[in-house]
Amino acid sequence: MSTVKVNQITKRFGNQQVVDHVSFEVQRGEIFGLLGPNGAGKTTTIRIILDIFKPDSGEVEVLGGPMNEEKKNRIGYLPEERGLYQDISLEVCLNYLARLKGLKPTEAAHRIEQSLKRFDLYEHRKKKVKALSKGMQQKAQLIATLVHDPELIIVDEPFSALDPVNTQMVKDLLREERERGKTIIMCTHQMHQVEELCDRLVLINHGKVMLYGDLDGIRRRYAARKILVCPLGDLPADLPGVQRIERENSGYLLHLTEHTHPQAILKHLVEQGVALERFEVALPTLDEIFIQIVTARGEPL
Amino acid sequence: MSKTWIVFRHEYLRHVKRKGFILGLLSIPIFLVVSMGISIVAALSSEDMRPVGYVDLSGLFANAQPLPPQNTGWLDRDVEMRPFENEAAARRALEAGEIQAYYVIAADYLRTGNVRLVTSHTVEADIHRQFSKFLLTHLLKDEDPTVRDRVLEGPNLTLHTLTSNQKIGSRNFFSLLVALFCGVIFVIAISTSGGYLLRAVVEEKENRTIEVILTSISTDSLMVGKVLGNLCVGLTQLLFWLLMGGLAALFALRAFPDFQGMEINASFFGLVALTFLPGFVMIAALMTTVGATATESREAQQIAGLFTLPAIVPFWFMGAIIEHPNSPLAIGFSLFPFTAPMTLPLRAMVTNLPVWQIVLSVAVLWAAAAAAIWLASRAFRLGMLLYGKRLTLAQILRSR
Repeated sequence: MSTVKVNQITKRFGNQQVVDHVSFEVQRGEIFGLLGPNGAGKTTTIRIILDIFKPDSGEVEVLGGPMNEEKKNRIGYLPEERGLYQDISLEVCLNYLARLKGLKPTEAAHRIEQSLKRFDLYEHRKKKVKALSKGMQQKAQLIATLVHDPELIIVDEPFSALDPVNTQMVKDLLREERERGKTIIMCTHQMHQVEELCDRLVLINHGKVMLYGDLDGIRRRYAARKILVCPLGDLPADLPGVQRIERENSGYLLHLTEHTHPQAILKHLVEQGVALERFEVALPTLDEIFIQIVTARGEPL
Repeated sequence: MSKTWIVFRHEYLRHVKRKGFILGLLSIPIFLVVSMGISIVAALSSEDMRPVGYVDLSGLFANAQPLPPQNTGWLDRDVEMRPFENEAAARRALEAGEIQAYYVIAADYLRTGNVRLVTSHTVEADIHRQFSKFLLTHLLKDEDPTVRDRVLEGPNLTLHTLTSNQKIGSRNFFSLLVALFCGVIFVIAISTSGGYLLRAVVEEKENRTIEVILTSISTDSLMVGKVLGNLCVGLTQLLFWLLMGGLAALFALRAFPDFQGMEINASFFGLVALTFLPGFVMIAALMTTVGATATESREAQQIAGLFTLPAIVPFWFMGAIIEHPNSPLAIGFSLFPFTAPMTLPLRAMVTNLPVWQIVLSVAVLWAAAAAAIWLASRAFRLGMLLYGKRLTLAQILRSR
């Protein structure tokens, strides 16, 4: 069952079409990547999902129907524009935000205490928010996002301002939430994080969906005609269907001609008696796919 | 518990618990008490309370008794009238500093009324009044008490205008003071609680918390909670100051018995409530609009000053309004939403307001308040997510 269903939404600000017939679905229990360059329309799409903006056309279903006030308590949102009340103590600030998510006073206090301890912020709870470091504020914001145990978690650039230790902690946390059946939508520019965490993704550019599907499928779709081979000995001098051979670390990168299938190369090598340590189709990184799509400025692929 | 209540409570407590708020709350009464205290002490210490002597050459006041204690205030003190056998004895006492002055009542006083005052310096006018009363009281001691009191107190004058049945008592000046006091409190209250509201809205924008908040609570609930919370901050301040004002009034009544003559009925306070409340809401909503459209608090505060400015305009024309309460200027001020809360109660003190004017003025005020809330709600929705950008009035009105 889909936790979020976005169907053909559009949004125009003045003369600019910010979101242009965007559709995708986010399944329950997955980490879904929402990608795109700056100004692509990601944040507007999220704001439409969260009912902060109304779409000009199209529909959004969240947690099995249109957004309403009750559902706000079941959603945790970490916006790109981070914000906490600077002039009050961390504890009071988190308490207020938790109460607005429908938690009872005692429950809110208990959960905040636990979260502060987990994120190593307990000693700082009486300090004013503005006295905390950027990293601490980032962690506090994550607490505010997750304290009410939401079913749908939307995180926009969750790793910004975090050191490697805390980045790892947040990754673990997101995986943990996924294990618990929570649905997570993650907006980020850090493609390696997407590769590491996301099950499926959508890539938006100029308000349009450029790419949508599961990570492996997309990488296969964009796989260039390249094979990575690590033979125990040398490669035969003549390999039919191979345009060019590049030395790469302990192996070779074979550039295939247009109609050559990787399986044909494998068969040929085996027939030639070449002992292989490694043979794999060289899949492009998400970074490469991202750059390829964004710089192409083409129509949806 | 509803989320509106949570916002209300949060907004209220965060302001009320601030040291700045508590200091601000106490500073005005403390300032008033201290300045009043200093001026009272200064007045009392400079007052010469030494007895005043008199030499009775007429023989009419041989058995004159001191005046019985009057219904005087704490600060009104009668000086002793001390008789002297002859002028030489009085002069010796004056030179010795035992008395501040002495009167010589002429032998033909009854026929001429001649009295001579001998002093080394000027004597306060109140001493003359007391001495004159002393003489009159003694001369009239055998009269019918009613006649005597009437002669001593004089007529109690009331003015009736031709155009209305409003009575303007000779002591109505103090009622005007009350109307002015209410006006001043109104201006202070709108500028302070409006300022709090403005800051609360701009802070939301500066702190970039609004996106998280809007995914927790609807814009309307948030607005209602914020406006009410900050209004109550202003109201707390207002009530505290009114309480202090009430205590000061009690003191004033004891200290200055003349205040007891003022005539203020419940309908005056009803009128104050009818005009102040929508005025308050209107300005609060406009402050929210400014907060949502501006990019930073300093800029917002500068613009917000423009809303409190019209509220004090009637003060500048106070003389004209009191002199001609039914002039086109006064009526115009009563019907203009920004000036109505100050003008209407002031006019009510000096003229009889036609019912249509009250109804129209209050209706215009409420309509303006509703329009301001509508504007604020739109501005808030549109402006809060435009970080670092300014929202124009045209954008607010044009958007869907």
